[in-house]
Amino acid sequence: MIAVVICLMVMGAMQALTPFWWWVMIVPFAFGAAAAGSGRKAFWTGFFAAGLLWLGAGLYFLLAGGGIIAGRMAAMFGLGRGWLMVPVAALVAALAGAVSAYAGYAVRAARRKRAGR
Amino acid sequence: MKAVRAVVSLLLAGLVFWALDNRHGTFPALGKLLDPFTGFWRNGERGDRIPDKLVVPGLRNEVRVVWDDRRVPHIFAANDHDLYLAQGWVAASLRLWQMEFQALYTAGRLSEVVGPIGLRQDIFNRRFGLAWAAENTLRAVREDPEARQALEAFTAGVNAHIRSLGRKRLPVEYKILDYRPEPWTELKCALLLKAMSYTLASGNRDAAMTAARDALGEGTVDRLFPFIPPLVDPVIPVGTAFDFEPLDAPPDGGTGDPGNGPRRAGLSHGAPSSAPNPGSGTEPAGALFSAGFLPGPGVGSNNWAVAGKLTRGGFPILCNDIHLELALPAVWYEVQLAAPGVNVRGVGFPSVPLVIAGYNESAAWGFTNAGSDVLDWYALTFKDDARAEYLHGGEWKGTAVREERIKVRGGRTVVDRVVHTHHGPIVRWPDEPPFAGMNVPAGAALRWLAHDPSNEFAAFYALNRARNYDDYIEALGFWDCPAQNVVFADREGTIAIRHNGKFPLRRKGHGRYVLDGSDPADDWPGWVPHEHVPAVKDPERGFVSSANQLYAGAEYPYYLGWDYMSFERGARINEILASMSDITPEDMVRMQADVLDIRARAVLPRLLEILEAAPMSGTERACFEELRAWDFKARAESVAPTIFRALWDELNRLTWDDEKTGDMEMMPRPWSEIMIDLVLNEPGSEFFDDRTTPERETLADIAGQAFRGAVADLEKAWGPPGPSWRWGKVKGTRLGHLARIPGFGREGVEADGIAHVINAIDRVWGPSWRMVVEFGPEVRAWGQYPGGQSGNPGSRFYDDFVDDWVAGRPYELVFLKSADEPHPAVAGRTVMRGGR
Repeated sequence: MIAVVICLMVMGAMQALTPFWWWVMIVPFAFGAAAAGSGRKAFWTGFFAAGLLWLGAGLYFLLAGGGIIAGRMAAMFGLGRGWLMVPVAALVAALAGAVSAYAGYAVRAARRKRAGR
Repeated sequence: MKAVRAVVSLLLAGLVFWALDNRHGTFPALGKLLDPFTGFWRNGERGDRIPDKLVVPGLRNEVRVVWDDRRVPHIFAANDHDLYLAQGWVAASLRLWQMEFQALYTAGRLSEVVGPIGLRQDIFNRRFGLAWAAENTLRAVREDPEARQALEAFTAGVNAHIRSLGRKRLPVEYKILDYRPEPWTELKCALLLKAMSYTLASGNRDAAMTAARDALGEGTVDRLFPFIPPLVDPVIPVGTAFDFEPLDAPPDGGTGDPGNGPRRAGLSHGAPSSAPNPGSGTEPAGALFSAGFLPGPGVGSNNWAVAGKLTRGGFPILCNDIHLELALPAVWYEVQLAAPGVNVRGVGFPSVPLVIAGYNESAAWGFTNAGSDVLDWYALTFKDDARAEYLHGGEWKGTAVREERIKVRGGRTVVDRVVHTHHGPIVRWPDEPPFAGMNVPAGAALRWLAHDPSNEFAAFYALNRARNYDDYIEALGFWDCPAQNVVFADREGTIAIRHNGKFPLRRKGHGRYVLDGSDPADDWPGWVPHEHVPAVKDPERGFVSSANQLYAGAEYPYYLGWDYMSFERGARINEILASMSDITPEDMVRMQADVLDIRARAVLPRLLEILEAAPMSGTERACFEELRAWDFKARAESVAPTIFRALWDELNRLTWDDEKTGDMEMMPRPWSEIMIDLVLNEPGSEFFDDRTTPERETLADIAGQAFRGAVADLEKAWGPPGPSWRWGKVKGTRLGHLARIPGFGREGVEADGIAHVINAIDRVWGPSWRMVVEFGPEVRAWGQYPGGQSGNPGSRFYDDFVDDWVAGRPYELVFLKSADEPHPAVAGRTVMRGGR
């Protein structure tokens, strides 16, 4: 839980300061490689941290005047309603965060095994 | 095992990263697009907030922009430089993506953004020489200090805005298509003029007419396409005296200098490659994308001005509605521009400085397309397959090559070597497939006026500052292409109209068919003097008008062209105005929404007489009764316009298409007035005979067949007759997004009107700007366009005018005297200051 919050805050800060979306992959990867206790924990930490960040931010911008553009984007993607863009974006971030956090953990595990030999 | 897991999961993470960071075909880069911090979420209504202060690098003095409640900017500057620099900033802040997309489209650079799908259109635009034409125009503009300053300052303003944008503030289309704006240039301003010239001054049926002449004979062609058609009421009233001594028309042989010297700039001379050109691909082109200037049958316009003797206020009223492709973001935006020596209000194209159509405190002007012939094709004889030399005047002359490099996104750069002659470029070779947008004769050279240097910006600059009739005449002297019927009215009470542009001196009929590129007598020998163009000032009848019809009657001494729009809108405008007195602006607003179909009024009673005698099914009888009860108004909720349109189309198809013979690919369609004339006066005409049957058919046979066919087609498409046949639904007006992004346009708009009535809302074309200007102690004006001021699809100002436009409810235009003037419609004010 604490890991999710920390990851989320670091990602949020980096995304606010720089124009790159991929912090939702870099930060979970770093967490997985540095601190995750298990592959499962890494996966779900990345999943929730990235997903919740984009869920919250998307919801904020949806409510802060983003209704029209979300509606048009939903039409472009063939989705019925604008608000669906919020969970869709969150799910994309969540999966990207989860995969990269797991990859980070797997790299660490492989290195540890090699070091242990 | 762990190492394998690490490698696999790393690969998977890398794959996810690659998938989300890149565009795949037309599918966007999801990571970038969905990111709430910089993606589409940032293109919401927050962008509509009006800033109090802005730093705009390059400004010399403070500029104040007053925004009204429809987000129209009213720009007040201390000098011309700052005025156009601020206009550039403001235009880019409203419409940057549209501006750049139109420029790339016109220049034949669409593939750089959309990939191989844009290649065929790019090749066409490059071959047609649109960028070359813009370069030639820019050279002329740079010799004129005022126009040059306007373009340079405007460009600096656009670039200042582009530099101020981070990723999150980029227009959403950049995020969807995943690219960034490049620096704006003056060339892009010139490209916009060439896009307009392509829309308005490239129409030609030379190839089809040549095939028709060869198959049917010149006599038949002249009968079906008379130089002065019946029913037409020309722009310049018949009987108007022209007080000049005309130049002689060129003879049929031996004219000398084609006068093309300066057009050779930018070409490298040398033998062109005989390798097949890359235009041989078969991918479809055309309406996949649009610059918002799709040419076609719905492009036209109305304008008129009434003198004070006919108006309630005793001052002139000027009206204009300009029919172009209906698109989002809209083709136009509204703007007011004020600086010492100028205070002008109207509409502009986002990509260029100045007001294009509008008014100031003293004068108003507006446009309809002239349609005179400024484009010819010249059949060439090449010495050999190298295409390095062609025959002209008994000599072999060298061609020149302009190498066009088309960078294709996600593919190889395509090099197209465009071969030029002294006439102009060859657009299509015999071994290449036809282009979707135009019937281009293979192997022929294109001679097009828009390729010549000209400086229409000087005309706009002067019109923006015009005080009276003399200023208007002087301004139009700068105007070459696209030729327009320019209507004018001023506070002093003058009204005028001018079929204005640069026209080649022609013998009658010259340019109707593909010309002989080896015969110097077919070259353009000179020009109709500017002071000799068809024009009228303060005519006795108290009004002037135009609707793209024939320019003048037989008394006008020059031949300018033959293919003008049919008679309906012009005749309807003139019949209404001739019946009016005590005219108010409200009358004019109602008139712009007039939907009386005088084609139907002219021909339908006779057709119904004929049809009545024939046996009918129940459905046919119901349709017949609908037509009989019709008041000839093309209303969205009526069914009769749907039936009449289908009947008319079928009648024309059955009458004309079987005339095709010999090498004709298709039979060129005569105008409506020819069909009406035949129906009313020649029911036994041989044109009604169906040449595919042994029997001799007459109008009665063909009309019955057309009616039954039309009803059957409608029933098949829309079910049994009823509300589903209503005209607005069947017509299905749409305002398509320029990049055709689903959800970004407006589909299924149900509106009154059709292309040949005054309120010419058709399926994809319609009145793109309506304006009514009344002079008096204060100038007042009303206007509207289909769209909204913002180019941001996430803004409520993107399409907020559309419903009022459909309903024909224009807005009174806010026209401020100063930046401090209190006005109830002011929504906010921005102070712009220079800075680094």
